[in-house]
Amino acid sequence: MSRSYDRALTVFSPDGHLFQVEYALEAVRKGTCAVGVRGADVVVLGVEKKSVLQLQDPRTVRKVVMLDDHVCLAFAGLTADGRVLIDKARVECQSHRLTVEDPVTVEYITRHIAGIQQRYTQSGGVRPFGISTLIVGFDPHDSQPRLYQTEPSGIYSAWKANAIGRSSKTVREFLEKNHKDDLTRDQAIKLTIKSLLEVVQTGAKNIEISVMESYGKVTNLDLPQIEAIVQEIEREKEAEAERKRSRLAATAAGQAAMATRAETPGGSGQ
Amino acid sequence: MEAISHAGTVLGVLAKDGVVLAAEKKVTGKLLDLSEAKQGGYGGSGEKIFLLNSNVIGGVAGLTADGNSLINYARSAAQQHLLNYNEDIPVELLAQRLCDLKQGYTQYGGLRPFGVSLLYAGYDPHYQFQLYHSDPSGNYSGWKATCIGANNGTAQSLLKQEYKDDITVEDAIGLVVRTMSKTMDSTTLGSEKLEFAVLTLDPETKEPKAKIYRPVEVDALLVKHGLAKKDEDTEMKTA
Amino acid sequence: MECSFALTGKDYVLVAADTTSARSIIKMKIDEDKIKTLSPHLLMAYSGEPGDTVQFAEYIERNIRLYHIRNLYPLRPQSAAAWIRRSLAESLRSRHPYSVNLLVGGFDTADQSPHLYWIDYLGTMATVPYAAHGYGSYFASSLLDRYHNPDGTLEEGLATLRRAIDETSKRLIVAPGKYMVKVVDKDGIREIEL
Repeated sequence: MSRSYDRALTVFSPDGHLFQVEYALEAVRKGTCAVGVRGADVVVLGVEKKSVLQLQDPRTVRKVVMLDDHVCLAFAGLTADGRVLIDKARVECQSHRLTVEDPVTVEYITRHIAGIQQRYTQSGGVRPFGISTLIVGFDPHDSQPRLYQTEPSGIYSAWKANAIGRSSKTVREFLEKNHKDDLTRDQAIKLTIKSLLEVVQTGAKNIEISVMESYGKVTNLDLPQIEAIVQEIEREKEAEAERKRSRLAATAAGQAAMATRAETPGGSGQ
Repeated sequence: MEAISHAGTVLGVLAKDGVVLAAEKKVTGKLLDLSEAKQGGYGGSGEKIFLLNSNVIGGVAGLTADGNSLINYARSAAQQHLLNYNEDIPVELLAQRLCDLKQGYTQYGGLRPFGVSLLYAGYDPHYQFQLYHSDPSGNYSGWKATCIGANNGTAQSLLKQEYKDDITVEDAIGLVVRTMSKTMDSTTLGSEKLEFAVLTLDPETKEPKAKIYRPVEVDALLVKHGLAKKDEDTEMKTA
Repeated sequence: MECSFALTGKDYVLVAADTTSARSIIKMKIDEDKIKTLSPHLLMAYSGEPGDTVQFAEYIERNIRLYHIRNLYPLRPQSAAAWIRRSLAESLRSRHPYSVNLLVGGFDTADQSPHLYWIDYLGTMATVPYAAHGYGSYFASSLLDRYHNPDGTLEEGLATLRRAIDETSKRLIVAPGKYMVKVVDKDGIREIEL
């Protein structure tokens, strides 16, 4: 029945779905995971980096890109679509500077990208972009870090922390549980890595971290730095598990003691 | 994607002082007139390996007609860049241009995507020698050595075993010829089955120099590496 | 009236432009920066029809920046100059041509060499060791010809530039009062007090 609806490009099904858009979201769910976390005066982007094949040039595999000096974007989904959308956004960043002499605000460029994505769900003869994006940055003359997300449908929203791509639901739930307002730089980075480790089993070598600390100040963490943090997290986890074990043992011992006490007669006036 | 996995193999290897491309031709019939191809216009028989710009050569796997149209597009894009910037187009930028076109064909309705994968072997002053691969979806990536078309899995693993960083062009040529001979369906190699090209720097001008081998040169190369087609008569006699 | 000068040295390019913004016979402003930074190693001094100059320079600036962001490396000076010249040549053949004269100076980090280009509003481009636009060029050209040393140090270059500017101030009836001087070398771009 519904077969005929996915042939024509993006039309409503009788129960109100837009199948093409949902397929695009499916493409996003298959993409590698990306996480954004906002701290008090810092914003961190972390992405799951697919292992580069032995003979491949790692320089050409990029998932986090700069749109302008002060805006950074990570995407999940179809890489080719991502490249094209990023290109449009970069043109808009410079065009905005040219027309109003000011750099774009993070919300403006997010709205612009979402606008393009929306157009491709409604125009004739095109399919939607198969990508979700996380956009981070600082507005000019402002110290408030920003984090936005866009989806294939054209929805955009601001977040304290969010994840897109593979297993993003697990990561988002983890972030919901563990995110606090006013994280410091180190805390934000640690939370980002910790949340990524929920889906990335292979550890530091498959994680990429970009940190934006103020307007236009971006740093990418190198492998040893990420490794150090991963190890720290692992140590903490172990310590936690150890504590749990000992607590468990303590309660078990306590219960055992209680039981033996109960067995001893003459304890009370029975 | 399916069309490409049956196409003739195209193989590229990046060396520290050059890039090597080789391609397997599928000869479609015995009566095919190859006399013009034997001559070779700018070298080569012009079926799978093409000169895209003075600093880039391309190898095509997939539907030949689609390939021709993409080659044409690539050459125009390279010339457009030359006109605008008075410089040879950077290799990655050329790959991006083609990928943008390919991506467009997957997104806009009414058109089918291109059934072609390409290898780009080139040089520019930004990243020196480079090798890129692009597929029909419009994805591209850079490689040290890679392979597209039929049997690319076997070739890939062979390359992985034998490739060394800072390999020289001479060694790379040997590696490519050996890998090709192992992956191609036919038991014997010859210029009617193989195209070959090398991009190096001219020692004097320091400008990139693309050399697409003429059929005679391909045969000579195969003889040099001891992989040429043996004369059947002599084989019979020795047997 | 507007004057700009530029010269290359061993491993740098010096670019100087007056800082006067005038309308008719009135000076409106004496601290206008007419040298745009296009990329980390590329400078462009512009003069000509007021309005056209800024509009065109900003258009160039944003496009060069876009190329940098897209490709992660900036255009090399020779390529940037070729593109700028083409933009002017295309504009000349449009309905409303820009009337802008340019000096484009850059340092090519790929082969560590300085480059200077003289471009006028007709889309003429010349690769030159030293250059000037405006009335100042009538006085400066001969001096630059006599004293320019293509392998000179920065101090030597500055001395030659000072000669050209001093001569212009002495002889030109409408000489500008102040100049801004910028240098581009392997370390990037910085302003220099003359």
